[in-house]
Amino acid sequence: MTTTTPEIERPIVPGLGGRSASRTVKNTVATAAVWLAFLIALIPLVWILWTVFSRGFGSLLHVSWWQKDQSGAGAPAFDHSLRGARHAVVGTLLMGLATAVIAIPIAVLTAIYLVEYGRGRVARAVSFMVDIMSGIPSIVAALFVYAVWVTTLGWTLIPLCSSLALVLLMVPVVTRSSEEMIKLVPNELREASYALGVPKWRTILRVVLPTCFSGIVTGALLGLARVMGETAPLLLLASYTQYLNQNVFSGSMAALPTLINTQSLNIAVPIAADRVWGAACTLIILVLAMNLLGRFIARFAKVHK
Amino acid sequence: MNTKRIGAAATLALAGSLSLAACGSASNGGSTTSSSSTGASDTASSSCGTAPIKSSGSTAQQNAMDQAIAAYTAKCASAKVTYNGVGSGQGITDFIGKQTAFAGSDSALSPDKGEPAKAQAACGSPAWDLPMVVGPIAVAYNVKGVSKLTLTPDLIAKIFSGKITKWDDPAIAARNSGVSLPATPISVFFRSDSSGTTDNFTKYMNTVDPTDWPTKHNKSWDGKVGQGKPKSAGVGQAVQATDGGITYAEWSYAIVNKLNMAELDSGAGPVALTPETAGKAIAAATQTGTGNDLSLKLDYKTKAAGVYPIVLATYEIVCSKYADPTVAANVKAFLTYMASSEFQGTLASVGSAPLPPAFQTKVQAAIQAIS
Repeated sequence: MTTTTPEIERPIVPGLGGRSASRTVKNTVATAAVWLAFLIALIPLVWILWTVFSRGFGSLLHVSWWQKDQSGAGAPAFDHSLRGARHAVVGTLLMGLATAVIAIPIAVLTAIYLVEYGRGRVARAVSFMVDIMSGIPSIVAALFVYAVWVTTLGWTLIPLCSSLALVLLMVPVVTRSSEEMIKLVPNELREASYALGVPKWRTILRVVLPTCFSGIVTGALLGLARVMGETAPLLLLASYTQYLNQNVFSGSMAALPTLINTQSLNIAVPIAADRVWGAACTLIILVLAMNLLGRFIARFAKVHK
Repeated sequence: MNTKRIGAAATLALAGSLSLAACGSASNGGSTTSSSSTGASDTASSSCGTAPIKSSGSTAQQNAMDQAIAAYTAKCASAKVTYNGVGSGQGITDFIGKQTAFAGSDSALSPDKGEPAKAQAACGSPAWDLPMVVGPIAVAYNVKGVSKLTLTPDLIAKIFSGKITKWDDPAIAARNSGVSLPATPISVFFRSDSSGTTDNFTKYMNTVDPTDWPTKHNKSWDGKVGQGKPKSAGVGQAVQATDGGITYAEWSYAIVNKLNMAELDSGAGPVALTPETAGKAIAAATQTGTGNDLSLKLDYKTKAAGVYPIVLATYEIVCSKYADPTVAANVKAFLTYMASSEFQGTLASVGSAPLPPAFQTKVQAAIQAIS
């Protein structure tokens, strides 16, 4: 907060001659090194954002980008109309929504069990499994769903399959964040509630959860933002289609990552390149919006504390 | 105070989730208009499919397929056909796994791998290979000042195997009297990804000149010289940017990148790559399948005049009898359009060659037999 000079915080002690030359040098070198490391870490981030936005933002300014799908697009080299990404944006949001609807209840209930009820061997096993699940590579989650759905059951893939694979990735993330949030609720609150004769389930529902509600929502949104940009499960499970599909239970559904993948086959063709960068830009903005929403909710609730 | 805060937080969360949901439903609202806006004229001249069908396979026919789908949906607004270019092998796997209605492939189902039997098990009826698009492979080059070049089968094999390294090599000059060839070194570009084009091109070289290209055909490049570039677009761009460059690529990509294409002299004079000369190669092909299974064997060694033999026939692999009659009707409607002379006539503009008329009739008859 204070912008006063360091001399006031660390006064020069008379007789010791102030900071020695060697310490000043060390201080400067260390500061420079930390700044340099920070700037180096920043380079790829800024570079990626700059590349994607400078190449892709132009596509986003077309009204058709948000209003149309890619139906009617011929071979990219012989098609000169950008068309839209509505099918992919809607697909990404719907698959994300389906993922959230399945994953969040499971994750939050698991977290409540681990903090409030879980004791002994079972709780340790559950906690261990959550740790293992968070280490599953996304492609393995996708292969698991594929093996169950197609190989074992012999069903046709539907867009929900991608959501199921994403659920496997989202559950451990949201479980861990919710668990931390519930642990942060002071025990005094619980004890006060018990002292008033409120049963445990009601205490959890009326005291514990409301207290950490914003934290849980933030964690859930950050988890959702993380899986929405996930690509590997979609490549395996969600077959791309150029048409808008709003039914997660049938047909194929496009998503932004699969739109990028499909169009990048013809990246040499300018119109296909515009679509690729435009879709990449849209995806970044979508994930960023989800992140900001999460942080906004966290801040909003904090103000009222 | 506590309840107030709870209320506020809950309201916000609810509002957040509602706005998310609204996002989804708002986009849902106008969808019907946007998806049907492309279907301008719905002519009743040919039957239209109504249910969406899914297909996947070869990237060699992706351009032709994209074009076919665009034209078909312009005719039939209610029809939705999806084709994913995942490669021939994956396309057949999807088809056998009952994920798609038909597969696109650069080669017919291979009995060596037991594919026909697996496809029959998936369909509950024999599967048919229907040749649909002829994909000529252009030998495209970029040599300053040389706009017309004639190559023979053995020259092609020697260039791509690295036995000829300069453009003014006497062997090339002997075939190109009147063309002043520079001393530029030859830069060979090949596909770095697994490709049906590479497979067919190496098969061609191995057939016509086994001494200079002794290795068998392979989807990955086995040559000792040259640089790999990903996808047809990659090799096309590389040649365009390199003086002295040469590559093999699907015709459409040679056109897109505005590359010169070598004429081929198989023994009866130089033949340029045109829809007609490539179509003749298909017309001269022998049918190896039985009945309506129209798998083909190409005659690369042909010495007939006016034939451009480096072509690849890409197939649609279909069930002869679908378990679901709606799927059958939709596949029939789409493939009927694709095999029609109306669509085949437009193929040259996207760098593919039409099927010869006699073959169109055969393929049409086979499509009508699908049930």
